[in-house]
Amino acid sequence: MLSYIIRRLLIIIPMALLVVTVTWGLIRMAPGNFYTGEKNLPPAIEENIKRKYGLDKPFYQQYLIMMGNIVRGDFGESLKYEGQSVNEIIRRHFPYSATIGLLAYLLALAIGLTAGIVAALKQNSAFDYGSMSLAMLGLSVPNFVLGPILVLVFSLWLFWLPPARWGGISGIILPVITLAAIYAAYIARLTRAGMLEVMRSDYIRTARAKGLSEWKVLLKHAVRGGLIPVVSFTGPALAALLAGTVVVEKVFAIPGLGNIFIQSVFNRDEPLTLGIVAFLSILIMVFNLVVDISYAFLDPRIRYE
Amino acid sequence: MEQQEVVKGASLWRDAWKRLLKNKLAVFGLVVMIIIVIAVIIGPAIIKWTTGYTADFIPPDGDLIKSFPPSLQHPMGTDDSGRDILARVLQGGRISLTVGIISTMVSLIVGVSYGATAGYLGGKIDNFMMRVVDIIYAIPYILLVIVLLSVFSGPNTPKWIQSIAGSIGGGSTAGLSQIILLFFALGLVSWLTMARVVRGQILSLKNQEFVMAARATGVSTPAIIFRHLVPNALGPVIVYATLTIPSVMLSEAFLSFLGIGVQAPFASWGSLAADGIKNISVFPWQLIFPGVTMALTLFSLNFLGDGLRDALDPQTRKF
Amino acid sequence: MARISLNQTYLGTALLAVSLFLSGCASSASNLYFGSTKAHSDKVLRYISGSEPESLDPQVPTGQPEARVLMSMYDGLVEYHPKTMDPIPAIAESWKISPDGTEFIFNLRKNARFSNGEPIRAQDFVYTLRRALSPELAAQNAYLAYEIKYAQAYNGGESFVRDASGQFLLKKDFEEAAKPAPVAEQQQQPPASNAPADTAQIEQPVAQTPAVFGADTEFHRFINSPERLSVPSDEKGRAKLTEKNLKLKTALEGKEFVPIRGEDLGVEAVDDYTFRMKLKIPAPYFLALLGHQFFRVVHQPTIEKFGKLWTKPENIVTSGAFKLLVHRPYDEIIVVKEPTYWDAANVKLDRIEFYPLEEATTMMNLYKAGSVDAIYNHTVPAAWNAEVSQFKDEYMNHPEVAIEYYTFNVKKGPTANVKVRQAFALAIDRVALSKFRRTTKPLTDFTPEGIFPKYEEARTKIYDELLKKNNITLEEWKGRVFNPAKACQLLRESGYQVADKADGRCAVSNFPVAEISVTYNTAESNKAAAEFMQAQWKQNLGITVPLKNMEWKTFLPVRKAVDYDGMARAGWVGDYMDPNTFLKLFYGSDNDSSTGYYDPQFDKMLNAANSETDAQKRFELLARAEFYMMQSQPVAPLQTQATNWIKKPYVKGLYPNPGTLHAWKFVYIEPDSNKWDKNVDNIMRETDAATEAQINGLMQTQTQYEQANKTAAE
Repeated sequence: MLSYIIRRLLIIIPMALLVVTVTWGLIRMAPGNFYTGEKNLPPAIEENIKRKYGLDKPFYQQYLIMMGNIVRGDFGESLKYEGQSVNEIIRRHFPYSATIGLLAYLLALAIGLTAGIVAALKQNSAFDYGSMSLAMLGLSVPNFVLGPILVLVFSLWLFWLPPARWGGISGIILPVITLAAIYAAYIARLTRAGMLEVMRSDYIRTARAKGLSEWKVLLKHAVRGGLIPVVSFTGPALAALLAGTVVVEKVFAIPGLGNIFIQSVFNRDEPLTLGIVAFLSILIMVFNLVVDISYAFLDPRIRYE
Repeated sequence: MEQQEVVKGASLWRDAWKRLLKNKLAVFGLVVMIIIVIAVIIGPAIIKWTTGYTADFIPPDGDLIKSFPPSLQHPMGTDDSGRDILARVLQGGRISLTVGIISTMVSLIVGVSYGATAGYLGGKIDNFMMRVVDIIYAIPYILLVIVLLSVFSGPNTPKWIQSIAGSIGGGSTAGLSQIILLFFALGLVSWLTMARVVRGQILSLKNQEFVMAARATGVSTPAIIFRHLVPNALGPVIVYATLTIPSVMLSEAFLSFLGIGVQAPFASWGSLAADGIKNISVFPWQLIFPGVTMALTLFSLNFLGDGLRDALDPQTRKF
Repeated sequence: MARISLNQTYLGTALLAVSLFLSGCASSASNLYFGSTKAHSDKVLRYISGSEPESLDPQVPTGQPEARVLMSMYDGLVEYHPKTMDPIPAIAESWKISPDGTEFIFNLRKNARFSNGEPIRAQDFVYTLRRALSPELAAQNAYLAYEIKYAQAYNGGESFVRDASGQFLLKKDFEEAAKPAPVAEQQQQPPASNAPADTAQIEQPVAQTPAVFGADTEFHRFINSPERLSVPSDEKGRAKLTEKNLKLKTALEGKEFVPIRGEDLGVEAVDDYTFRMKLKIPAPYFLALLGHQFFRVVHQPTIEKFGKLWTKPENIVTSGAFKLLVHRPYDEIIVVKEPTYWDAANVKLDRIEFYPLEEATTMMNLYKAGSVDAIYNHTVPAAWNAEVSQFKDEYMNHPEVAIEYYTFNVKKGPTANVKVRQAFALAIDRVALSKFRRTTKPLTDFTPEGIFPKYEEARTKIYDELLKKNNITLEEWKGRVFNPAKACQLLRESGYQVADKADGRCAVSNFPVAEISVTYNTAESNKAAAEFMQAQWKQNLGITVPLKNMEWKTFLPVRKAVDYDGMARAGWVGDYMDPNTFLKLFYGSDNDSSTGYYDPQFDKMLNAANSETDAQKRFELLARAEFYMMQSQPVAPLQTQATNWIKKPYVKGLYPNPGTLHAWKFVYIEPDSNKWDKNVDNIMRETDAATEAQINGLMQTQTQYEQANKTAAE
């Protein structure tokens, strides 16, 4: 097990570098560049800009210089925002996204797990059908539709909450709910499905036959079984959460990393894009590793060698 | 314990079909989907025939160029340019469903081949192939899609895409090439999980007797993969495919929200909803009708997918 | 099982009911104001400024969002008049222009200070301009200052040429000798126009020997000596230049190349409080440019000490009415009143909070909820217009110095034929387009309407004359705003099969639609407009023009290289308040028109106009040039933009001037609701006592100076 973990950890950096390379290639293929504006640039000015940013060197040289810097952790400076280093930008904006993402996922877990467990226990009841239908609705309504509807009701109509911008607890409520909705839905369904499967399985029957109390059976075995699909869902959920936060950040005007990222792609701000890609890739890979490890603890049938 | 019977022939499917029909929710989903598909196929023609409205008809009278609420003349109201929303929702349905289905097929073809090969060959090759999947997973797909769409859109569209678009659209290629690009972009994202699902199935199937028998009788590796293993792994594949369609449609809606999804003159439910949100506090029907239609479709597809999963694989529920 | 369907039905019905109820609520506008409107007693303005600024260095960014913030932090020689955007004294108390129009002398006030207390002197302006034009800074706005002598050459990293005896080669020795303008010169005249274009004899500007203007210094003598020749500093650049020019090539051989330095630039600190500028050509509009943030003064020691990091809140030193307190990117920029500012007594706001937001719906929601006091320009979505424009006390709808048009590719495809271009231009119902857009006005010539009243007077006069000369009736001229019959006629003359239909429309059957399209960049309004045009051409000409849309960064190089088929969407915002900023788009062989249009005759006409010192005569010459250029129809003008923003009625001093650039020191919050703005359609005509007094106070120094000079001259 330990060797497995070490192997996975060692791969992360090279993989991140590979991801950066691929991304770099894609960006370079795209036409346009960060200094294109509405007015024509006299060629002299364009030359000045190219020289300033080292764009007049041949491609492979630029690539090597960039990679050399990245390996040392230096992603350089944003091309669009003078004087701000990429690391600084990430450090400044990631906490916004992380806060919202984390709170959203916790809320989704709270709602989803509860609903899923209760639904599984009370299978085929009104609660079961009701909550599962609601969950299905949550899966079918895009978050960029849900968000504005919430804003309309709670902000413009009831004046209970601010419609946008980061600020205090009241400012976080609507974005977190908007983001959490779809995940609560997924988690509820997964939990219920996982629990039902486990509850029907042999080892639960054995536990019951052994005379363990219903509660013990539930807590120790069934719920753990129900958690497995949820845990495995965390991996892809993280990647999807990024897309979700982009929407939420856009709708609620929150200065998070998702928004910055989209801007950087549209602006062809290469260092910033690469920096964020590398950062998020590493984050996702580490998370996936943690997820896979917790698998082993949850499902005794799974072994890594 | 949870292995299903490997049976060649129709009885497995007939069983599954019977089980599906018993599931009321799935039947509801199936019926709704059939209605929607019929509506988007013949609806636009009917509307054009009866009222003359098409999805891009802007009334010449300047005073009609605004957003009217639902009425007898326009059951879903009109949008900011005076276009009939019902016609647009139906046309949007065509595009959304087409994007959903074709992208899913792309991901199916790529994912199944890849996953089955990896699963069967096992060992180092499998390891390597799955690592590649991990790498691609780690790239935030939105970047891939944005760059893809901007590198190859407009005058840069590869010639072969333009010729396909031209033959379908009869000369006018602009919006069509973008849609075809979307097929690939979205398809290439969803194949990853498909590959994993298939690989998982193959892994559990490949040590079965029928496979050993096939190997013993000298059947070639590709034939084993594609003629013996894949058909038996189809259950989860179909289920997953049915669930991929709504996920792809949501992705397309997200791209439209960012402005790089379906372009004029075409519209999809996602782009209609994204447009409608801007005016939600003044003209809510612009969002509600496309939004409800889309939600209903996804709703039904999800139920259908669930039902299929229950029907084909009553014992195992793997997401 | 029936339960589920019921549940879902309930859910669905409930959703529908709620939404219908909400839509009912939304449309009842029974309030006096749009959303929550409560004056606050603090003197804080909360303003949405646009996208996050690229930089807080005034010489670097080029966008409007940055301009709005920078104008609060930096001061310049002049400031924009809040209503007209004319230059009014700022750090320069007074100025005068030399008789030949190429030199300016500015007398600076003695109490202007940087935010760290140090005095602002003429040397600081010299530093600012040298830095702004330096090739190392690579400022994208550098072209704004190209009228300054040697600015373009310096910015391009060029060199002077010195021979063995220490003499520099002069530019005039290598220019084509000025030919007298030929009468009725045969150009590629557009055959569609019924008469030859205006070919009045054009006078070449006569070189004048400049009298010494201001103090006589060594630098002044240098800068007024005949213009030196400048050539690229690198071999390759020179080789390209001398390829076709043998005379130049031989002249350059064996010579020394002296790189142009900042010190060669036509700016001079005559003494601590006198600043002199030399232009390479007479440019009457240049004074209006000086309010732009590019020319606003920066603090040399800070920049030299911190380099790129000088704009961080802990390092920054500013020169304006406000100083930077907080900068949280994408969240807010907060500036507070600078107590040592020379005009601090008149600055009525204590603090401005700029919120960088771009999403229109979000902004409107924040405004409605009362979280912000005013929003920047072009933010009210078209669909909301009907509702928001009802709020007469808040909604701003005034003409702007900005236009929207479609460029034609005049080099290839069907649009290479001028008749085809004219046909397409005539087949658009611009009045209907304005109704559709709701925030624009029809535009048939090129310069925006309603912005330059004196120019339009001159233009009407000239057009009257030209119309008579070319036998065009006034009816027909007015019909340019929409004339499908004429369009069909023109297409028929171009050789296409045209079948006439009712009310002037027609159907053209063999038009090569594959070779034509409308290309535009992805944006809501562009899409809507393009679809509208498509529908117009379809209905009026029976031609379905395909639409192509591209992301901004992809679109720009395509349009610039004239790589598009048919038409491309373009917009232009004036850099300064003079028609020249629009007409110059077509000037020169490498112009910014993105059409492929180039006509030396037009260049000559523009040069002649800008050499004319009498303002009205100059406008007449510009009008002729505009008429001439429009005969070739290189673009299809569509709309003059109108402002489209809202502010709370308690925000005063914030005017919808044509550039929507606000000098923040005139803005204040009015706590007394009786004094709030009413019916802002009249806001430009009404006088607000406080603001008027403030403006007049500032203008005094210049008016007194001019008086003094006049009496001295008499």
